[in-house]
Amino acid sequence: MKLRAALLILASFSLLLAAIFVGHPLHGEQGQFILWQLRVPRVLVGTLVGATLALAGAVFQALFQNPLATPSTVGTTAGATLGALCALAFDRARSVEGLPWVTVAAFIGAITASLLVASFASSRRAHSSDVLLAGIAVTLAASAFATGIQYVSDSRALFAAAQWSLGQLPQVGYRGVLLLLPICGVSATALLLLTRDLQAFALGEELAHSQGVNVPRLRLLALGFASLGVAGAVAWCGPIAFVGLIVPHLVRLLLGSSYRTLLPLSLITGAAFLVGCDLFARIVVPGRELPVGIVTAALGAPSLVLLVARARRR
Amino acid sequence: MTDLEFSGVGVRIRERALLTDITLRLEHGEFIALLGPNGAGKSTLLKAALGLRAATSGSVRLAQRPLAELNARERAAHVAWLPQHIHADEPIRAQDSVAAARFRFHETHAASQKAALSALERVGAGAYSQRPVTELSGGERQRVAFACLVAQEAHTLLFDEPANHLDPAQQVEIYRLIGDLWREGRSIVCITHDVNLLNHLGDAARVRVVGLRAGKLAFETRFDAPELPSQLSALFGLELRTFDASPGRFLVPATRSEP
Repeated sequence: MKLRAALLILASFSLLLAAIFVGHPLHGEQGQFILWQLRVPRVLVGTLVGATLALAGAVFQALFQNPLATPSTVGTTAGATLGALCALAFDRARSVEGLPWVTVAAFIGAITASLLVASFASSRRAHSSDVLLAGIAVTLAASAFATGIQYVSDSRALFAAAQWSLGQLPQVGYRGVLLLLPICGVSATALLLLTRDLQAFALGEELAHSQGVNVPRLRLLALGFASLGVAGAVAWCGPIAFVGLIVPHLVRLLLGSSYRTLLPLSLITGAAFLVGCDLFARIVVPGRELPVGIVTAALGAPSLVLLVARARRR
Repeated sequence: MTDLEFSGVGVRIRERALLTDITLRLEHGEFIALLGPNGAGKSTLLKAALGLRAATSGSVRLAQRPLAELNARERAAHVAWLPQHIHADEPIRAQDSVAAARFRFHETHAASQKAALSALERVGAGAYSQRPVTELSGGERQRVAFACLVAQEAHTLLFDEPANHLDPAQQVEIYRLIGDLWREGRSIVCITHDVNLLNHLGDAARVRVVGLRAGKLAFETRFDAPELPSQLSALFGLELRTFDASPGRFLVPATRSEP
């Protein structure tokens, strides 16, 4: 088991490093520019976003005791989409402090949706299944509003919205990395500090309560910090599907479910998975880049099915 | 010293009363067997002691302090619980599950693991400490849950039908383990449908038998009291026959008389 974990970590880091150098051959000054100003920051953003999404997915699966929970379960992504859509439809050109308005609006939308669900979750009486339902309700409501906005917006806004919703790693430069780093860093650190609480949650919420876990507090903290990271990720990259669902399951199938390994390894593997998918998206069609969201879904879904099938046979 | 005290406890959900005016004290080192028909409120009473169900009237005290004043870790130091069902969806190793039950202790991972292993060995589950809980049989899983309760090291233990769904040998074994914990000085409340299993505790005569019906206390008596059979017959609406063996006392539903 230790060997497998070490191999997984090694493979992840190799992939992260390789992603910087694979692609069009780089020559001279132009090559240096592409390497340092485009590729490295892009790999860094991919690392941050992939790690955050995968960790948040693992935490939500633990929190809701539901293997199908994802970072989008509590409405974060739907809120971000609604925010982004508002920005695209009504006020495309503006920017705030040099940040694209779309990103700011998506972040605000994501945080608002999560806060709605979190305020519900912090109530003493709420059960995890109620919180899940609240998340679904917020998602549906946000999607309804989004559809309404799409109905009244022009075709250019619609096209921009469709592109945004595919999910891609943007060229944000080091400024984007620096903005994302504290958000993802705080989120990941806080979530990893909750490992012991989440482990107690695995045999059921009521048993955890009887063992001394402050359940409403745990739920609020986990939900809050995970949503913070996801909001940051989605605001920059749009909704990237499947990373938060597949990566934790992949780690679980390879290494078992102890949260002391599951959480940190989801973080590392998530980073490698997203950067790997982005690498694939960059090189698969020469001269064109696919949105990474398509690749994560296209690669992720079959590999999950394959892994589950293999685990069943053993 | 009183380890657990219910004073006039009532639990209502909207118009429905689950418990009404329950007053019951568990003194240190005592054993209460809680009996009653399905839906009588037995599990609700245990959940009220854990703060999983808020008392809508009256008060619950743990070790003479109001339950509401204790934080989660303090409460867990006083009272541990073996629920009727445990949730096992995640393939977590048995030892890790038990180590997680040490949540209330501020200790290293290694210390939790060591305590977990000795708890598992104590309940005879050492052999499968490394297996995922999802792959265990019902009896094995129940022992892992039992080990969680042992590892928590609380002084008041609440059992909710601990021998449910187990084969007879496992049932006896579980009750012997509970008897051992009792003799070590723990205070215990145990819900059971099978009063005969109490014989395996070791000192059944000292057991207080409390009957609960429709959310109210129906009676309280000792296990060796002569009126126990008639009280249980009335509680369940079932004619019982008594067989006194030495040691032991067995109550069995009477067969239908010949026409």
